[in-house]
Formats: sequence, C-alpha cells, structure tokens
Amino acid sequence: MSQALPKLIFYSSIPLAERARRVFNFQRSSNSVYSKFAEVLGINGDLSVDFPIHKMPLIPIRVFKEAEIKSFKGTADMLFKSSGTGNMTQSRHFVKEGSLYVEAIENEFYRHFPKESTSILCYTPGYADNPHSSLIWMLNHLVNEDPSGLSRFIPLQEPLKKVSLQPFIENSRNIVLFGAAFGLLDLLENGSDPLPASAQIVETGGMKTHRREISKSKLRNVLSEGFQIPQQQIHSEYGMCELLSQSYAIRSEWFTPPEWVYMTVRDSANPERICEPHEPGKLGVIDLANLYSCSFIITDDKAIMDENGRFKIMGRWKKAEMRGCNFLIDRE
Amino acid sequence: MYSDTQKNIKAISKAVDAWLQPDNLSLKNAIDQTVKENLFGLEDIKYQIRHLKRSLKEENLLKWGNMSNLNVSQLKDKNVICLHAGNLPLVGLQDLLSTALAGANYWGKLSRKDPYLLPTLIEKLDDQNIIGERQYSTDLSYFSNREADAVLFAGSEDSANSVISSLKDLNIADFDTPRLMRTAHFSIAFISDHEKETMEDLTEAVFRYGGTGCRSVAIVVAPFKLDSQKCHFTDYIEAFWLKNPQHKKPDQSLFYRYATNKALEINQAWLNDFLIEERISKPTDKFVLQWIQGDKHTLSKIIEEFKEGLQTVYTTSETQANDIQEQFKIETDLLTKAQTPDIWWKPDGVDTVSWLQKELC
Repeated sequence: MSQALPKLIFYSSIPLAERARRVFNFQRSSNSVYSKFAEVLGINGDLSVDFPIHKMPLIPIRVFKEAEIKSFKGTADMLFKSSGTGNMTQSRHFVKEGSLYVEAIENEFYRHFPKESTSILCYTPGYADNPHSSLIWMLNHLVNEDPSGLSRFIPLQEPLKKVSLQPFIENSRNIVLFGAAFGLLDLLENGSDPLPASAQIVETGGMKTHRREISKSKLRNVLSEGFQIPQQQIHSEYGMCELLSQSYAIRSEWFTPPEWVYMTVRDSANPERICEPHEPGKLGVIDLANLYSCSFIITDDKAIMDENGRFKIMGRWKKAEMRGCNFLIDRE
Repeated sequence: MYSDTQKNIKAISKAVDAWLQPDNLSLKNAIDQTVKENLFGLEDIKYQIRHLKRSLKEENLLKWGNMSNLNVSQLKDKNVICLHAGNLPLVGLQDLLSTALAGANYWGKLSRKDPYLLPTLIEKLDDQNIIGERQYSTDLSYFSNREADAVLFAGSEDSANSVISSLKDLNIADFDTPRLMRTAHFSIAFISDHEKETMEDLTEAVFRYGGTGCRSVAIVVAPFKLDSQKCHFTDYIEAFWLKNPQHKKPDQSLFYRYATNKALEINQAWLNDFLIEERISKPTDKFVLQWIQGDKHTLSKIIEEFKEGLQTVYTTSETQANDIQEQFKIETDLLTKAQTPDIWWKPDGVDTVSWLQKELC
C-alpha cells in the first residue's frame, strides 16, 4: 500500500472522489470481503480516474457483525464493539492505527469546539467499564487532551451542580456537556442546576429505547428549558462503532459530514439509486477514515438529505412491507 | 331440530357452495379482473379456490363452530371492522367467515391489491340472508363516524399505533376498542428427510404465493446441509415454477444480499427471483429462505429467538407436530398443509371466532 494514503485521506486539496477512488483500489486489493462484494457487483479491477464516487459499491453494514472486516494483516491497535444486549450479535471494528481515529476525532470535534477554549463533561459510562466502545474511547481521548485538565466523566445518577462548574467559569472554559439523549434527560430529572449561559450540549445516540421514545425537537426543547440554554447551543453527534468519523448537527437536527466523508441516502429497494432530496432511504457512507477496515458502507439508519448535502437521521430503517400479512393502512 | 347457530352455519355453507359453483359468473369475472390488473397470478388464485372448495364444507364449518363454542345470537348488532392485507388472494376470507359465523356485522376495509374476489362471497352471503350486515370498501373513510366494537387486522407492534390513530381520526375505533392484531409473518419447516414427497411439500410451502403470507416457510431446519441437497431441491423448485410462475419479483436489494453473502462465503443458492441462504437472521425479507442444518435443539433455539413473528412449525409427521406443540406451546401443522390449512387455523395462535365471542359478549 502507498504509505501516503493515511495522510492523503485528510488532504482536502485533493478532490474527495479521487481520494475515495484510491481508498477503493487499496481496499479492493487488501480486503477480501469487500473485494468479493465488489466483484459480484461487476468491479474486477482498479477504478479508473473518472469513476464517479456515487457508483462505488456500498456493502451492507451487517458484514461488521459477521466477519472480520480488515484491510490489513497482523494485529489491530484497538477493537471496538457495538453495544448489544442479549442474543444480539455485536459489530466489531478492528482499528489498525489508533492515530487515524484520533485525527478523525480531533479534526471534526475541534472544528466545532476549539481545543484552546473547550472543556467537556461526559455524562456517559466511563472508559474502564467500556473499553470496546468507540464513543467512550473518543470522549476519553478528548478528556485527556484538554490542556486545562478540567474535562472529565461525571458520575452517573448524580445531579450536575453549579458548584462543580465553578472551576470552568474561573478558567474561562466553554463547557460542552456530552451525553446520550436519555442520559441527559435523566441528568435533568435528577435535579441538575442550570448550565452557564455559554455552555453547549452535544447529544448522541438513538431517540428510542425499549421503554421510551422522544422526538428530536422535543428533546431539544426539554434540554433547552431544563438546562436554561438557548436551543442554538444544543447539537447532535452521529457516529457508530463501524465508522471512525463523526458528523455533527450544529444548532439544528441537520448533520454535516466531515470533509473526508461522502454521505448519500440510498433507495432501500435498490441501493444503487440515490434518493431525491427529502426522500427517505438508508444512509450510505463513504468514510475514508475507515481506511484499514471498509470505507464503503450502507447503514440500516433511515435518513433524508436536503439539497445542500446535509442529512437528518430518522431512526432505524424498518421495512414498510415485511413478509407476511403486515401492512400499513396508508400504504395500502 | 336445528339451533340458530346450526341454521346459520348451514346457510353460510349454502352461500359458500353457491359461490364456488363453476357457473358463478361474478367470481369468474372477479378472477379475470384480478388477473387482468396483474394483482395476483392466475395459478395462485386457482390454487386458493381449489383449496377452499375442498375445505369449506358444512361439516368443517360445524366443526369450527363446535371448537369455538359458537353461539350465534351473542354478537347480534356488534360491528367488527376487518382491515384486510392484500398479499395473497382472499387473505381476508377467514375474518369474513368468522364474523358471519358469530352473527356480527362485517365492515371490510378491502385491500386495493385484492378488491374483487371477497365481494363475490359477500354477495352470496347476503343472498342467503346470513345474520349480520356486511359492508365493504377499499377506502377506510367509507366507515367514518361509525363506531366499531372490534378491530381485526394484521400488522406489527410498530404499526399498531398508526393504524389505530387512523381509525380514531375517522371516529371508527380508539385505543380502547378491542383489537386482534396478527403479527406473525413467517413459519418454519422442520424436516428429517429429502424424499420426493417432503421436497414437493417443502417447495409448495416456501414458494406458493411468492413466499408471502405468514404460513409460508421462511426457515428450514434439516439434518443435512443446503449444499448436499441444493441441486435436488432446485429441481423441484424449477418444476414448481414451470407450473406456477412467480407473480411478484424481488427488487435489486436481494442481489445485494446475495453479493454480501458471497463476500462472507455463506452457502447460498441464487434463483434469480429467490435466494436460499445457509444463515439465520430475523426473517423479515421477502423472497428469502434460510436453511439451517440442525436438530430439535437447533429448532428450539430458533423458536426461542424468533418466537415473536412465528406462525407455525411444520413437520412431516403428526406425532412430531404434537410433540413440538406440547413442548414449545406454538402452532404446529403438517408440512403438506402449509398452504392448505383447515378453515379453523389460528393466525397467531388465536381462534378468531372464540376471540370475538370472548371480547364482545
């Protein structure tokens, strides 16, 4: 493999399609699973320079559950696993070089929340309890990178009190409170104090659990009122174990992918077709930071995209027409 | 001296007989129209009608009534709205007969995919003045502002809220109205040999109606691997398709599934319009059969994992069917009856007539 690739993927001066093409050619020759997939779909050799990025085949995300998706030989720096309960099979992401993950994390997070002025409070389980969570690894890294040393994981089940925020104010640090949607609601319900006026919130994860469901707009309302900060200071993060890059929805529900990520919404019935703006489909991702696994993925997340390439997540994709007698009245 | 219930059953039987007469022009026209509009294939409709001719006998209706402790006078003036799915021809017939047997009023929201066939039976039931009134439409709003006492429909837990909300918006029913929602969407075949009869029955159980319908087999548990019988099984499938061309075709996503399996080196058989794979996952997709090598223990694990959504486990012997029913408390049947069930078969394990009587009396 060209030694330049790990650096090249973040070079924005090279067109994204060209970087994607080089990553495709690398993974086609080094990742047997993806290579066979591409072959069945009719691609047997390297892509030519004019090959359109939207025609690069996207492999269903389930492969991360059913095989070791590697574009390298030897041992991995890290192994991330998706959260899974009961009989659920977990996805596994073998990360050859942690430095690539670090670069993806820092490039995007610090673009929105400058390192020199930001400290984060993570209302999530700690790293020691979740060594295989890519999200917790990311947060742990951001905590450790804070030059002020004030960033930390905060204890679960305990309210966030004003007094504990005083050191941030005294050190002129902008607080980013990072947590899962329902975790942040719990934090409020536990009797937390309002946040300082300049604080920001980043919520992540699904909007539905086995016991409750909330819309994104309601969540933003509740968090804004509860923590007494404007909704413009509430953001969302989209990431998963299978992707080393994260997207952020700043001040709204619309996510913008990082510069090295190409997002499309695909017709679930025909993944080769890109949906029209605002037409729901499955989110397709080309994440160049997945250099040593597989960069070309179709997820099971339901999404829409606007005319400007921003995307919105609408939950998990559910089949409108399952086998059997199931049906929806309005689709009949 | 006949009871009112017996008289009602006799009258229904007479209506059904009249409906199934070869000279019934309205049924013939309905079949022609259905085929003309490409809603179902002619072979599938003929298969269904042939089966109904064999099963809808007076003695079977009486048997069903006895098993359900039927008393026709109990549900007089009760209104039952039935929301019919249209994935196979006449799929709503059992609900129509259930309400007629129970003596309730039938409001049928017909599927736009199957709007012609059922009304021809309703016409014959009306000719015989069967107890209860019957009204039908493909448009749910036709029933606006009429209060239903019960709702019968097929759906999923996720779709239930939207269905009931639609009914509530039209003042037909609300979240307190008794509802019988069928969520089952697949069945399992547990086979022990690959004899001609078994393979023919399996082919019918999997591929009839393009594999749709909760009684269709989505998972096979067999003591041998797919590879060992792939060619053998494919011969039966080809023979079946020659006589019964598959009406609906899969979309491009099935080929993606094939490509993904190939990449993962999963054993499979690509049949262009169907995929057989040696892999287990929640059986939600159409045109996919999952083949698992295993024994009763394997079956037990699959039942445990996918019980929600499972309609019936088929076997090739009655003794085995009884054993499995006893052990796992699920519906079982003979493989040969997968697509030709008794008229009293229980969707989701619930007898509709009993349910109506229990909920509405």
